[in-house]
Amino acid sequence: MNKQKWIARAGELGAQGLEIYEGQSAERSVTWFGGQMDSFGTSSVLGTSIRAIVDGKAANLALEAVDDEKIDETVSLLIEQAKLISSKDTDELRAPEATDEVKSRAVWVKPSMTQIREKLAAIEEAIKAADPRVRQVTEIGWQESEDSREITNSKGLHVFDASRSQVLYAGVAVEENGEVKDGFRVEVVSDLAKIDPAEIAKKTLENAVEELGSRPIPSGQYPVIFERRAMTSLFGALTDMFSGDLIGKGLSPLKDAADTAIFSEKITVVDDPKNLDCLSVANYDDEGCPTRRKVLVDGGVFRQALHNTKSAARMGTVSTGNGFKSGYASAPSVRPMNCCILPGEKSLDELCAEMGDGLVITRLAGLHAGLNHVTTDFSLQCFGYLVKDGKRDRGAALITVAGNFLDLMKKVVSVGSDLDWEYHTVACPSIFFSSCAIAGE
Amino acid sequence: MLQKETLARYLSLCLMSDADFAEIYEEEEVSETLSSLNAEVESVNRTLKSGAGIRLYRGVQSVYGYTNHTDDEHLIPMIEDLKAALGKVYGHGEKDVSLTLVPVEYENNNPVKIDFESVPLADKAELIHRSERAAKAYDPRIVKTQGRLLNVRQSVQISNSEGRLVGDTRVRTRLMIEAYAAEGENFQSGGYNPGAGKGLEYWEEKSPESVGEEAARSAIVMLAAKDCPSGKMPVVIDNEFGGVIFHEACGHSLEATGVAKNQSVFAGKLGQKIAADCVSAVDDGTIPGAWGSENVDDEGNPQRRRVLIENGILKSYMIDRLNGRRMGMESTGSSRRQSYEFEPTSRMSNTFICAGTDSFESLFEGIERGLYAKKMGGGSVNPMTGEFNFSVREGYLIENGKITYPVKGASLIGTGQEILLNIDRVSDNLERGQGMCGSSSGSIPTDVGQPAIRVSSITVGGTANE
Repeated sequence: MNKQKWIARAGELGAQGLEIYEGQSAERSVTWFGGQMDSFGTSSVLGTSIRAIVDGKAANLALEAVDDEKIDETVSLLIEQAKLISSKDTDELRAPEATDEVKSRAVWVKPSMTQIREKLAAIEEAIKAADPRVRQVTEIGWQESEDSREITNSKGLHVFDASRSQVLYAGVAVEENGEVKDGFRVEVVSDLAKIDPAEIAKKTLENAVEELGSRPIPSGQYPVIFERRAMTSLFGALTDMFSGDLIGKGLSPLKDAADTAIFSEKITVVDDPKNLDCLSVANYDDEGCPTRRKVLVDGGVFRQALHNTKSAARMGTVSTGNGFKSGYASAPSVRPMNCCILPGEKSLDELCAEMGDGLVITRLAGLHAGLNHVTTDFSLQCFGYLVKDGKRDRGAALITVAGNFLDLMKKVVSVGSDLDWEYHTVACPSIFFSSCAIAGE
Repeated sequence: MLQKETLARYLSLCLMSDADFAEIYEEEEVSETLSSLNAEVESVNRTLKSGAGIRLYRGVQSVYGYTNHTDDEHLIPMIEDLKAALGKVYGHGEKDVSLTLVPVEYENNNPVKIDFESVPLADKAELIHRSERAAKAYDPRIVKTQGRLLNVRQSVQISNSEGRLVGDTRVRTRLMIEAYAAEGENFQSGGYNPGAGKGLEYWEEKSPESVGEEAARSAIVMLAAKDCPSGKMPVVIDNEFGGVIFHEACGHSLEATGVAKNQSVFAGKLGQKIAADCVSAVDDGTIPGAWGSENVDDEGNPQRRRVLIENGILKSYMIDRLNGRRMGMESTGSSRRQSYEFEPTSRMSNTFICAGTDSFESLFEGIERGLYAKKMGGGSVNPMTGEFNFSVREGYLIENGKITYPVKGASLIGTGQEILLNIDRVSDNLERGQGMCGSSSGSIPTDVGQPAIRVSSITVGGTANE
């Protein structure tokens, strides 16, 4: 692709700006089942996304086969798209800006196919040997990917970065007295050679075995601890409330909440794409805007929304560097990147001791549907265990937890210390709430 | 798309290995999305995808590679990688791998009258705006509207080492309208997202105004909603998207993906009673112009109508080629994938509970206290345990056989095994609704459907405790 030729010709055709975003990804994966390799995957995809600015409006066109002979045809389509936009909002491309770049600390050792197969086989055996209740090792898998992105625009911006990730996962089904439960574990692995199959087996089995014998509990209001994984999935599904785009359109529950207390004073929320504790680190967003650390909620008070260029212009402010795409083909929207609720002092055990009697929720299901993003009402299937006198009691399943997230976040008793980013871009520690509605028997 | 001779050359090269089967899936897709807020166009995006995926089997092992660089320079090294992953790589003359591809043609079951690419963007924007204006006009409390029109044309060509060469073109259109209602501090939304495997002529059949009005109606109802009570109670689930309950509670667990590896609660139950006698259910990929229809599946086998459950008895699973090998059964033409970036597996198409004989009104008879779930959100299931959940977008309390008031924040949970047996009435008002279904081979368009049904007891999750 002759990018300068595209940029120059777009200008001649009537576009005041052109941005070319290239996303390259290569993956390798292996899965293991029933004592042999089940599947192997390999891929290489280059996606190009072109954004044109015409009279202050931006249009996006993504393509996988780029042809320099088709510049006129492609740019004409973009101009037609941009000219249809009737909303008053304006958009523009970013000029280059200086920033202190950070570099991910992650070090990846790429394993050979033989190493991968041997390790997956060893993990399968280790899981089978770890507990007589194992009914099936449902899947063991390895996945590695190399991604890079390059952004070039007509204002002279040129940004490039690349990342790699390696992930190991394992699934198991256990059975006791005719009851079947399953568990799944995902690990980010820098060096597969250092992975102890017995350790992975133990962690994979943990959740499945704990859920055996779980049954519904009576419906009612309970003191509840959302264990860090459940808290992460709930908060992660609702972080769009901080989107300056939705706030500007009046579609976020925080539309009129600037500088007001929205959560308990015990809650502080930070978004920091340069946080080196996280798997993914970004010096720039997908518009090429430098990223930075922001305190979104400070001691319960809503202080800062997330913005890309367009949402910032609408609200008369500046981009926070949160213009990220959902894939190379999409236009940049507003997304959090390495966003967390800051941890407190207490371990999960200490939170349970503090609660005395109540429920710990370890897992939620149905998050893609059981949330109302406008009101933050939620009603979700959940899994967990009862706590009696501060100690773990029996498991609870086939129950739901329901409420309003903004109300819930005002009922914080204590915030746990167990924040762990794992592979997430949004993470939370465990949080103890004074009460929440549970439905069961 | 690659030429027949080129495909045959690649397939032969694939077979110079321990592979006993090879397949090439090529895809070209054009899609466009127009988005609007308060009847002003906010964005217009287009995507032109093109790439290929190559799959080799050795018994029940499969290897899959994909790329959007479809030339010798990229495809040949990828094929060599796949062969090496599978086992031995044969040299020239070591194995007879000659093959001839014979094109197979099927009648187009989903013809398009108005191609979206031939229509000016402004006319397409007007379809959204008509819908938004109707929503706004429905009630003065409708304060905002959001609309999206999605149009897609996916062309595929599938060739395999059995000599088959099959093509298909799938055209789809969908209008997604969200209406927002406000009354003081109370802010609620309602949505409606119909679509079809048709061209833009679909919007002559289904008026954009009716879509906007339905979204607005639901948002206004929710302004009056009270907290939903929780606990076990009888539930009447209405037709159309209500069928998501069968999709989640049963459909996914009948896909060979789980069944073949004994990872489904319904594995090994063919011929057995798994549902109440009043329940019959079908997965039918041949309904002309339906959202989940296609002429052939993504392995090039003709789509078909599959009777899954007949009067409560399990009759068939949904099976793809690879899992068919594990199960010792033929493919049922159920292999689907989002794009060339996914290896296909068994998936649903248009799945629904068949119409029964009970009247809609009779479903409420004898219910002292229960829930009427008029509009559903989505849901999910764990096929291994059968535990499913789904959300109720518009619900009402039933007291003494009558609908009393709307409720919000309800979800339904249970196990597929139990709920199918607890369906005690099936009405006669079958309708289908459109959704996107997510699984290991990506996000694909599927219809769910049912007539209104009654489940004698199900756990309702809500916030009001008594």
